[in-house]
Order: sequence, then C-alpha cells, then structure tokens
Amino acid sequence: MAEPLGGRHPRPDAVMKVAGSARYVGDLALPGMLHAAIVAAPGAPARVVSLDLEPARAVPGVEAVLAAGDVPGANLVGTIFPDQPLLVEDRVRMVGDRLALVAARTPEAAWTAAAAVEPELEPLPGVHDPVEALEPGAPVVHESGNLVRTFRVRRNAGGDGAASAPVVVEAEYRIGGQEHAYLEPQGCLAIPESRSRITIVASCQCPFYVQHAVARVLGLPLASVRVRQAHTGGGFGGKEDYPSEVAACAAVLAFATGRPVRLIYSREYDLQATTKRHAMVVRHRWGADTDGRLLFAEVESFLDAGAYVGLSTVVAERANVSAIGPYHVPSVKVDTHVVHTNNLFGGAYRGFGAPQVTWAHEATMDRLARAVGVDPVEIRRRNLLTGESCTTCTGQELPSPVLAGACLDRATELAAAWTGSATVAPSPHLRRGTGVALVLYGCNLHHGGQFLDRSSAVVILQPDASAIVRVGLTEMGQGNLASAQTVAAQALGLDPSRVEVWEPDTATVADSGPTVASRGAHSTGLAILDAVRRLRRRLDPVAAGLLGCAPGEVELADGVARVAGDPSRAVPLERVLGEMTARRIETIATGWWRSRPRWFDEATGLGSPYETYAFACHVAQVAVDPELGLVRVEHVAAAHDVGRILHRDAIEGQIQGGIVQAMGWGLLERLELDRGRLLNPSFTDYLIPTASDTPEISMALLEDAPGAGPFGAKGIGEPSFIPTAAAIRNAVCDALGIEIDRLPFTPPVIVDALGTAHPFADLLD
Amino acid sequence: MDERIVVRLVLNGEERSFRVAPGRRLLDLLREDAGLTGTKEGCGAGECGACTVLLDGRPVPSCLVLAASCDGAAVVTVEGLGGPAGSHPFQRALVASGGVQCGFCTPGLVMTGAAVLEAGVTAPADQARLLSGNLCRCTGYVKVFEALRRAGEDGDG
Ligand code: FES
Ligand code: FES
Repeated sequence: MAEPLGGRHPRPDAVMKVAGSARYVGDLALPGMLHAAIVAAPGAPARVVSLDLEPARAVPGVEAVLAAGDVPGANLVGTIFPDQPLLVEDRVRMVGDRLALVAARTPEAAWTAAAAVEPELEPLPGVHDPVEALEPGAPVVHESGNLVRTFRVRRNAGGDGAASAPVVVEAEYRIGGQEHAYLEPQGCLAIPESRSRITIVASCQCPFYVQHAVARVLGLPLASVRVRQAHTGGGFGGKEDYPSEVAACAAVLAFATGRPVRLIYSREYDLQATTKRHAMVVRHRWGADTDGRLLFAEVESFLDAGAYVGLSTVVAERANVSAIGPYHVPSVKVDTHVVHTNNLFGGAYRGFGAPQVTWAHEATMDRLARAVGVDPVEIRRRNLLTGESCTTCTGQELPSPVLAGACLDRATELAAAWTGSATVAPSPHLRRGTGVALVLYGCNLHHGGQFLDRSSAVVILQPDASAIVRVGLTEMGQGNLASAQTVAAQALGLDPSRVEVWEPDTATVADSGPTVASRGAHSTGLAILDAVRRLRRRLDPVAAGLLGCAPGEVELADGVARVAGDPSRAVPLERVLGEMTARRIETIATGWWRSRPRWFDEATGLGSPYETYAFACHVAQVAVDPELGLVRVEHVAAAHDVGRILHRDAIEGQIQGGIVQAMGWGLLERLELDRGRLLNPSFTDYLIPTASDTPEISMALLEDAPGAGPFGAKGIGEPSFIPTAAAIRNAVCDALGIEIDRLPFTPPVIVDALGTAHPFADLLD
Repeated sequence: MDERIVVRLVLNGEERSFRVAPGRRLLDLLREDAGLTGTKEGCGAGECGACTVLLDGRPVPSCLVLAASCDGAAVVTVEGLGGPAGSHPFQRALVASGGVQCGFCTPGLVMTGAAVLEAGVTAPADQARLLSGNLCRCTGYVKVFEALRRAGEDGDG
C-alpha cells in the first residue's frame, strides 16, 4: 500500500458528485415543506414610509408573511458587529435589504407573493465611493459615521529614508470588487422540531456561525440549534458569513409556520444581494535608492465596506499585513480606512484583502523597476525577504528558511521553459508581455481572530478496522474531506478508503471556528492527529500484548499494528480492534487543536499576527490585441511554498482553480454598480472564465519550509489566488509599455489607457 | 380545468409518462416529477450549464427547454449515464484526474463531456469551445481537460 500522504487517491466525495447522488440543499425535500422568498428593497438608501403586506398574503398558497416585528429573538444578523437587521425596520441602507419574508407551498407562489409587495420608500441621499464618503458633508450611512475604523502600521515611519530617498514612485490604484459566483446559489433548509429546537441543513462554510445566528434570531440556546452542512457547491468566502442570513430567514419562517422551510436564492438575487470582494482605492508613495533598494513605503487604502461592517475590519487586518508584500522595507507607514458607503457590503472572498494590496504592491514594484531601469525580476531579487533581512510589514522576524526567493526562481524558470502557445492567431498588432508577482501570506487567522483559531475532531474506530472521523471544518470543493481523510489514514496506517470523514454537524463536534483563511486542512488535520494520539494510548497496549512488545514500540502502517523496526512482527489492525471490542475498551476519542498565542499591538500595528507564512510567485505570459483591448493569458507559472503536500490532486486543483478565478477578477469580472444597484446580475453580463479562457499552467510545489500544520502542511486555498491578477497586470503593462492602474482590465479600460498609443488613435480621434 | 399536457419520454432508457403544466421546464420535470436531482440548477437562464442533459443525444440546458416540447424524446440524465457508481469513462476519468471539486457543475459537465467524446472531438481547442457552456468556478478546467483526454484514450484503447 502506498503511503496516503502526498498521494493522488480519489477524493472521497468524487464518485457521488460525478454520479449525481451527492445531495445539495436544493435536492432535499420533506413532506409539508414550504418554500421561502424575500421581499427586498429595490433602491437605497431610503426610509420605509409604509409596507403593506396584504397583497402577498392574498396570493394562493401563501402560509406566512413576516416583517421585522415578527422575529422572535433579536432582529439582528452580522457576524462581528450588530449593525445589520435581519428585516429592515425603517431604514434601507443597501439594495437588496430585506423588508419581509414569505413562505408558501410552492416556490412560484412564494416569488409571486414577494413580488406583489410594493413597499413605499422615500429615497435618501446616498454615498457610493469610499473616498467621497469621508469628505465633510457626505451622506451618513450609519449614525456612528462613515469611517468604521482606520487600521495602522507604524514601523520607523517618517525615518530618514522618507525624506532623502532619491527615487520616489507614487500611484493611486482603483481596484474593483468581485462576485464569488459559486455555482450553487445560497440555500438552506430549516426543520423545526418543536417550539424549542431546530435543525438547519445549510450550504455553508461555517456551520458554527450559522448556529449562532439562528440561536440569536430565535432566542434559543446554542445547544438547541443543530446545523448540518449539506454538500456545498462552492464558497470562496461567499458562504462564510452570508449563509447565517439565509438560515436566519428560513429559521424564522419555520418557527412561525411549524413546517420545514427551504430557501434557495435565485441567481439574480444572489448576485444582487450577497457580499462581494471589497473594492479598494490604494495610494502608494514608495521610495528607494538609485539601485532600487526600498527605503520606505507609505500605503493609504480606502476599503469600501458597503452598508454594513460585515467582515470588513478583519479583511483590513489581513490587508495591512500584506501591504508591502514579501519585501524588506526599513520604514513603513500603512493606513487602511474601513469606510461605509451605500454599496453592497463587502465580505470574505478568497484572499481577504490581500489580493487588492498585492495587486498594488506588485504594480509599484514594476514602476520602481522602470524608474531605476532594472528588470522586474531583478528589482524583486534586490528587495525580497531573505535569511539576512526577514522583517515583515508588521515587524515580525521570520525564521529561516524563507522561500520567497526560491518561489521567484522556480516560477521564472518554469516561465522560461514554456515553449509557447498555439491558441492565439498571429496578428500584426499582437503584443506579448510577461509579468511577475509575489505574495507573502499569513497562514490561518490573524491575531485579531485567534480566539476562533481552534478545531475539534472525533475519531471512532470500528471493529472491522475502518474509522469514522467527525470534523468541524467544511468541504466546499477545496478538498477538506480529502485532506482530513489523508491525515487520518496516514496516522492510523489505514488505506484512505477505510476512513470515512463525515461533513460537519454542530451536534457532534465542538465549535471549531470558521472554514476560512486556508485553515481547513491545517486545523482539521491537527485535531485529528490529537484524537489519534489519545486513541493510541488505549490501542497501543492492546496491540503490544498481542505482539509481545512494549506499547512504545507499536507502529501502525499498511493496515497492521507492528513492532517498530521489525515489520515481520505484525497483527492486522482488525484483530487489535476485535480485542479492544471484546474487552470493551473505548474506541472513540476527541481531538482538539488551538493556535499558539501571539503578540500584536493594535495601536502600532506591530507584532506577530500570524504564526507562519507561505510564499508564492506567479509569472503570467499574455498576448494583447491593442486594437480591441483583448488580453489572452497564455501561460501562468506558479511556484508555491506549501510546507508539505497532503493530497496532491487537491493542492493542484486549488492552484489551477485559484489562478483561473483570479484571472477572471483581473480581466473580466466587473461589478457594474449604479448607486449601489448591480446592473449586471447574470452570468450573461457578469462574465466569469470559461473552459476556452483557461491558460496553460505549470507549477512547482516547494516542500523545503515546513509549516505548523499536520506533517508540516501550509494553507493553499488563498495563496493560489492572490498573485495571479497582479502578474497579469504587469504582463499587460509590459506588452503595451504603459501603466494601467484600474482593475479589471476590460477592453475599454485597455483601449482608454492606450490613449494616443492605440493603433488607430488618429482615426479614433 | 386541467390544462396539463401529457409528455412521454424515454428517460434513462425507461418509458415514462408525465402530466405537466404548459410552462413547466424540463429541469423541473426531471428534478421534481421524476425525482432525479442529480441535474442541478445554477442560474435558470441558460448561462451556466449545470442543468445539462442529453435530449435525443444532444446536450441541452434543461432549464431552457419546455417539458411539453419533449414528448417522444429520449432524455438521459447524469443518473442514467453511468449509474450510481458513475461508471461512464468520463465520470471515471474525472474521479481519477481529480477533476471534481464542489461538484455542483459536475453533472452538467459530465453530460457535455460525454457528448464531446461521443462526437469524437479530440482537438483541445475544440473540446474547450464545446465545454465553454459549462461554467466551473472551482477547478480552472485544467483537470477537466485532463479527464477528457484520459477518457478519450481509454475509449480508444
Ligand atoms: S441552470 Fe440551466 S444553464 Fe444554468
Ligand atoms: S467543481 Fe465547483 S463549480 Fe465546478
């Protein structure tokens, strides 16, 4: 039997997904189940003048229509900050805000009823740009003011370098948001069991967030709310905080009617109302010596939180740590303003603020390269964190080895070895370019969220030497089941097919925090290893008795317990378990993991926000048609510092998927907002990459710097995404010889940026 | 007054008859009336391909097809293609290549991929074009292509 670790054994969820037997929320129905719909505000901001719900109640098949006063517990959602009502009482702050909820016998009746409500809203002046929102006299989104908070970093700020740097580059970057576009829309099934307890089946990343949210709106103890995660059709952050709202809606209706209620979003409402990647304005003033060695960096960012705080403050924390990338900078000043507007509210999205600031710092590094006349790869080599100078943005000293330079070397080698593409037809105007981008990624949760950085697991050994594993972190496509299965199989010496990992259920494991921040494999795996350790305190003596050795000599591999160093002395694990069962020895154990405490000073933004860091470098090679402003990404080379590979297909899949999703953000995916209303809420108008857009991808997985995860693994979900769009930006600018400082690079943006350099500039004039 | 229309289908090889409202989508007939929930709804507007089924052998988005227009047709869904074990060569290749992540696009992708293989299309650019109606947000399509190649080779050999 090959070792499970680092292997390519089939993912445990693959067969049911290809066969169509994996059931998602929308596939689950119960007798008497009702369907829910939401009455949403069409414009914002506004004051609610009147809300007549009678037209909805009059629709045949409608069983309940509820408004704010009908919420039995607190009328509040909001993961961190209690600033968002489940149902609006008098003030609409963003398009899509909920005014009322409907439950009906068919989805059609529910939608008809919701559409029959015509709320009377008095429009109020709104604000839709985060910079304008801070100007005096700007309309106020919440009474507390539009500035939620400014997050700072001050490290030798204003030192000599800032005054005397011979080379200074300045830029303002305007970076657009992004829709998650998970293929399965938001959905939830709420099953009331009595007046005092409820089961929720949800498409979600964070069942414990959902549990808290439902308990709050129903006024129930947490123990009376059971949340099971259904197969979840993609998340990318979009099912981190938002499903709490979906579940709260379904739960309130289920309690009001005493019947199961299913709420499935239409794609249009999903696009219109759910959280997005934050749009950001990032201003840079960076200085260097004449060789391009950085002397100082000043970064001021405006993060468009939208109408509610959501997770914006936490996003800003990560953005600050990533603000100057993996570079050595002696003097750093960062200000990130989290600002309310009446736009859709920003939430978690793969990378969590890091992709935006990375896009900016990698653009600035290319500017700097041009300013001092050196190659973009060389300018990075001169400034990268290495063994000698390893202080991060927040003043954290990194232990060796630091693989930033190794990632740059490997990715540039892969790019140089690429032999070209046959996908783009030659054209006289076609121009090619290459761009590089690097990322410094803090693994797991930031210091500010470390109270959540824990995880629970249960391992139950079966008499036939198979194992049930219960975990607290979710599978949403990224491969958490596969990595959990691999870790358990490796630790128990079992074939992966003998290990069944079940999706999270809040009634079976303790609160394990959210499945975010690329922490799934890490947190789940370490909790599983802890459970296995505890099991072995009971198993090893039994095995030792059968083997005639000391308990400390027992090792598990290949489905047997054997004497370490003498594999010929072995008994099948099944026999050991038979013996344990016969002697009624406990074959279940819980496991627990928590991150190590760290130091961080909020006032200066200095300290050790993350335990470990991962590095990555992407090199993009593009062909640009300047006439049309069209970009074809031909090749992306990706080198990643992964610590240790747990499941090879899962990790490769994360990198390939991350690259293509980031390419969409960089080139295609434009949220067309008109006073906070999304004008393109469909996949016809909001374009995401198709099979025809996929570039060739080469990758190198570096295992030379172990992380803190199981067997040395580091997270990959987010680092796979973060550098790509920046590399593409730099490649396009390289091809065209201009700077473009707005994302995404849609054709009009490119044509516009070319100005007089456009091939037909004279004609267009 | 019952306006419902009788629709006879050969559904996954079995003769079946349904009574549907004139506006009922083939997708709803499959998921709700026939209980075949393997076929997914990602957009309901013909944009994502998650609802793809084979209608007389051709891949179509079942959210855009009126059930009533399918009388007499043969319909194959993901459940009918390779059974509960997912034994169609493309299904097996997707499992072996790691081409499945969240799985919500997968049933539709499986149907389109099966049709691409059936049609004998092997040029990568043509395969990509034919798959471009099936959105996948997770995989970046790379391992999906790998699976298509693998299934094609297995089929030949
Ligand atoms: S659901 Fe039919 S194409 Fe998306
Ligand atoms: S696997 Fe998730 S959309 Fe394709």
